[in-house]
Amino acid sequence: MRRRSFLCTPLLLPTLTLAAPARAPVTYAPVTPGIKLAFPRDHGAHPDFRTEWWYVTGALDVPQADIGFQLTFFRSRPGNAEDLQSPLAARQILFAHAALTLPGERLLHSERAARANLGAAFSSSDCDIHIGAWRMNREQRSTGEVLRLQMNSPQFSYDFTLTPSQPLLLQGDGGYSRKGQAAALASYYVSWPQLQVAGSLLFDGQRRAASGRAWFDHEWSTAILGGDAVGWDWVGINLDDGGALMAFRMRDSQGATLFAHAAWRDAGGQVRQFAAGEVAFHPLRHWASPRSGASYPVQIEIRLGELTLRTRPVLDDQELSTSRPAPVVYWEGLVRLEGSLSGRGYLEMTGYAGRLQL
Amino acid sequence: MQALSRLSWWLIRAQFTTRRAATLLSMLAVALGVALGYAIHLINDAALADFARAMKSVQGDPDAVIAARDSAGSVPLATLNAIARDPAVLVIAAVIETRVRIDNARTPVTLIGIDVFSAAAVMPDLLPRHNEQAAAPNLFNGGVYASPALLAKLAQRAPDSDSGARPGRTLTLVRGEQQWPATLAGDLPAARPDDLLLVADIAWVQERFGPVDAVSEGRVRLAPDSDLATWRKKWAQQLPAGLLIRVADDDSARVSNLSRAYRVNLNVLALVALLTGAFLVFATQLTSVAQRSTQFALLGVLGLSPRMRLLQVLLEGLAIGVPGALLGLGLGYALAVAFTRLLGGDLGGGYFAGSAPPIIPLPAPALVFLALGCLASLAGASYPAYLNRMQPLAQALKTGFAQQSHADTARATLPRLRLPLFLALAALALAQLPPLFALPLAGYAAIALVLVAGIASAPLLTQLLFGWLSAQALPAPQRIALQNVAQAPLMAQVAASGLIVSFALTASMVIMVSSFRVAVDQWLDHVLPAPLYLRSKATPLPQDLLAALAQPDAPFTRVERMANASLIIDPQRPQVALLVREIDRRDPAARLPVTGPLLAPPATTPAVWISEPMAEIYRLAPGQTLRLPLLGREIEVFIGGVWRDYGRQFGAVVISRQDYQQLGGDFQPTDLALWPRPGEEAHASAWLAPWADQYGLEVADSAEIRRLSLSIFDKSFAVTYALEAAAMLIGLFGLAVTLAASVWLRARELATLGALGFDRRMLSRAVMLEGALIATVGVLIGLACGVGIGAILTHVVNPQAFHWRMALAIPWAALVTGAAITLAAAVLASRHAARQATRLPVAQVLASAQ
Repeated sequence: MRRRSFLCTPLLLPTLTLAAPARAPVTYAPVTPGIKLAFPRDHGAHPDFRTEWWYVTGALDVPQADIGFQLTFFRSRPGNAEDLQSPLAARQILFAHAALTLPGERLLHSERAARANLGAAFSSSDCDIHIGAWRMNREQRSTGEVLRLQMNSPQFSYDFTLTPSQPLLLQGDGGYSRKGQAAALASYYVSWPQLQVAGSLLFDGQRRAASGRAWFDHEWSTAILGGDAVGWDWVGINLDDGGALMAFRMRDSQGATLFAHAAWRDAGGQVRQFAAGEVAFHPLRHWASPRSGASYPVQIEIRLGELTLRTRPVLDDQELSTSRPAPVVYWEGLVRLEGSLSGRGYLEMTGYAGRLQL
Repeated sequence: MQALSRLSWWLIRAQFTTRRAATLLSMLAVALGVALGYAIHLINDAALADFARAMKSVQGDPDAVIAARDSAGSVPLATLNAIARDPAVLVIAAVIETRVRIDNARTPVTLIGIDVFSAAAVMPDLLPRHNEQAAAPNLFNGGVYASPALLAKLAQRAPDSDSGARPGRTLTLVRGEQQWPATLAGDLPAARPDDLLLVADIAWVQERFGPVDAVSEGRVRLAPDSDLATWRKKWAQQLPAGLLIRVADDDSARVSNLSRAYRVNLNVLALVALLTGAFLVFATQLTSVAQRSTQFALLGVLGLSPRMRLLQVLLEGLAIGVPGALLGLGLGYALAVAFTRLLGGDLGGGYFAGSAPPIIPLPAPALVFLALGCLASLAGASYPAYLNRMQPLAQALKTGFAQQSHADTARATLPRLRLPLFLALAALALAQLPPLFALPLAGYAAIALVLVAGIASAPLLTQLLFGWLSAQALPAPQRIALQNVAQAPLMAQVAASGLIVSFALTASMVIMVSSFRVAVDQWLDHVLPAPLYLRSKATPLPQDLLAALAQPDAPFTRVERMANASLIIDPQRPQVALLVREIDRRDPAARLPVTGPLLAPPATTPAVWISEPMAEIYRLAPGQTLRLPLLGREIEVFIGGVWRDYGRQFGAVVISRQDYQQLGGDFQPTDLALWPRPGEEAHASAWLAPWADQYGLEVADSAEIRRLSLSIFDKSFAVTYALEAAAMLIGLFGLAVTLAASVWLRARELATLGALGFDRRMLSRAVMLEGALIATVGVLIGLACGVGIGAILTHVVNPQAFHWRMALAIPWAALVTGAAITLAAAVLASRHAARQATRLPVAQVLASAQ
């Protein structure tokens, strides 16, 4: 559900406007229902679509309980330089974002940006995308398949191997996931919950062994956010019993829900979809950012049908802002889920620090 | 103690008021030395800082740069992308840099293709600003962005039309055959005021001008915890042979190497000026000690210790040195500002292009130069101070300054020749030594020894000449005066040595410059065989022109094409020029001024002919093989010979077009040598004119190039000429001052002569004759030393510092004229002394002598 890729594109260019190009509009591939996704090919990039992201969030138990981490790669095709033959043409722009939450303490984050073929690349046949030394890729090992995450920054670095314990979770209708009332507002959305994390983590100048649980999302789309939406709230939770829960809602400027959806796969593998009418988000407690002044409902009550769930952040201040001149400010961090179901996962809230510009 | 310091102050003040001219002159000489040294330091500092800023503006401040060693080469994308994956690399910013002409303007500008995602981290000064009002595509879609200086230039070019520098207008960027009608979309707010730059997206530059699947450079920012040296070593082993890793240290070393020899040369000249200052202090203080010997003796009797007498003279020297050095600092600053405005940061040396860099004085170097000035004056005062300490009081009280009686004057000539002879031999030996630290330090030492030898031989020559003359049948006054000098040659030596030094230096410079000019003149004959030349600045010549030249109706009998490129052999040294020429492998001497042996290359090996500087800098010789970074790899080439080159101080390699193309090189001519059909010279020029206009090419005939080259040559010696004039003036003043002093010393003798009936004219003539004779000695020895030093400059300093070899060409006519003028000036200067002699109050002098 990481639509920030739409937002990042103009903001990464410090002194330029990136008004939509006057000529050479791209004919993006449409998102249509009924397509059968095939893996590992569909783990790879879909460059004909406007935007795409690979997103891993997780919670560690070693070296310390409730350390949260996140690594996201975005691919964006804004419609620039479509006519150029040069391999360096800035058609496909890649962004990466990594964060580390030290519970009750602080949040570290770092980002990278590049055009494809210039210090960055993606594969269209399997999950393999990198910007410099940051990389997310799928490896087929003799013991089975794994995902590998590598990133480094001055404050923190990690190198994790994620081993699946469950099959993929295709969101929506076999991976076709609606995002609004209009049929065009949709994406292909694949989740991979309950990945076992092993590897090493470096922060405060010390490298330590790490283990925990992670959640992988891969989503690609062409449709733009609905016109009235200013932001969204989203959760992806690895449940303690082995189940998985994903829920989101799109908000308008009044905070009202424009569209919502949720999916719960229980420990037995049964998937239950919740339609828009069955999903409700109610803020319980707000945290006001001293930096942006934005007020985020860090504790939310989520009602899914008869289920009542509450989020509780491991750290209130998990607000992020990109370092560019016109910052995108949002909240994205590790929460505990309590109530009818319990677990740990990520909550993302956008559009609270002013309306997001597309 | 207070009384002492008051006494000391009185004496200094008296010194200044009674020997105003001499003191002032010494002060000026110290000032000149300090000024010159300080100015050179300031200018060089400013030029280097300016260069560094320019580098930073365009290149940013990467930790390392991956670049091709061959200017025609490039960094393959695959290599760049492999480096990008290294965890030690934070970001690698790719750049494609090329030269384009805008709308066929004559002067090309630099077009830099950047990747805005990585440029922000490494070279933020190149980030463009999009003009919101302009109907122009953004950076990714082909917008180009111009630096403020370039925008101003564009506006100037089309002042009335609305096209000029308006965003949204089309700029046709031309490079050789390729054209790109690009849209001006905004500016470069962080570019330096004098940068003429265009910035575009790297993909667009690659699309229009290449290189295919490669970039010009990758500029690396390392992760904070990685070690540059280790990283560099690791990658240096993995990179393809045609690439190198440059680090910031290399850049500064290279820039400093550019003008190092030139700078050291100028600093030696400054040192000479400082030594002249020391000499003048010496002369002044010596005479003043002599003049005040009675006073000092009196003070000595009254209790002034010998140590205090020594200190007093040193203090007086310092009293000259401190204001002199302070004046020098001010003068040096003014000189630096004036010279950078007039000639640019390289004093006309042609090493740094661009506008005048700002001069920023810092306290530490200023203090060093202040100390140098004081040191010079102290050194000059030390011998007089020593003499003052050693004065036998009783005798001085009675008869004034006691000059060491020269009991040894009768010594045989031969043993007295020993010291100068020994010095000359030592100089000769030093001149044979190789350079130290790539500088002709031994050569400079040899020059100093020649000067000392000259000064040391002065007494002998003085005594011989004056002794011989005084033995002749001359009128009594002259004979008496001459004999006196011959008997007491110290003053004469002092007077002459100033002239010896200044004339020797001037003569040697004249000899060196003349030898050089003659050599350049001959060299130009050889390197400009064709009547007409055409060149495009750094961009390949258009194919349609080359095709038209190949047509039978083109009015030329012969056209030779040449391509200019450059190679990096050592990242710490300036680039070596690579000239691809239409040259016959079997007969390179037809086109190159070959020196030394020519060896026939083996049929299978490509041959190159290297320039003299190249041979000397990299210690290469004909017959050796050399691994040349060419076409993205290292290619073994055979050195067929060495040729003379005064045009490229840092080396040049010539390779034949056939060899270059056989190696797979893309021969893109940048220069043409043209032989018009006999009788059709005017037609040929007219035929070329439209091409030149259309493509912004330069056409020049060989006479014009020759004139321009020689004028550049003359300009680069501007500072030297100014210095020669200053040296001569100091020498002449020195003569006048010492003569005047010697007149004062011999006051009693002259007064006696006056009492015996010599009239003022007779006395004046005697003194002027004396001056003329001392000057003759000085100029003769100076000339001899000058020839010696000229030979050292030509055969040792020039080849070692600049790698320029040439034959010695002594301009005798100019030297003799100079000697005659110097003599005449010396006679004029001694009039000043003569006037003093005629003003002596005879009676008073004679009375006080009792």
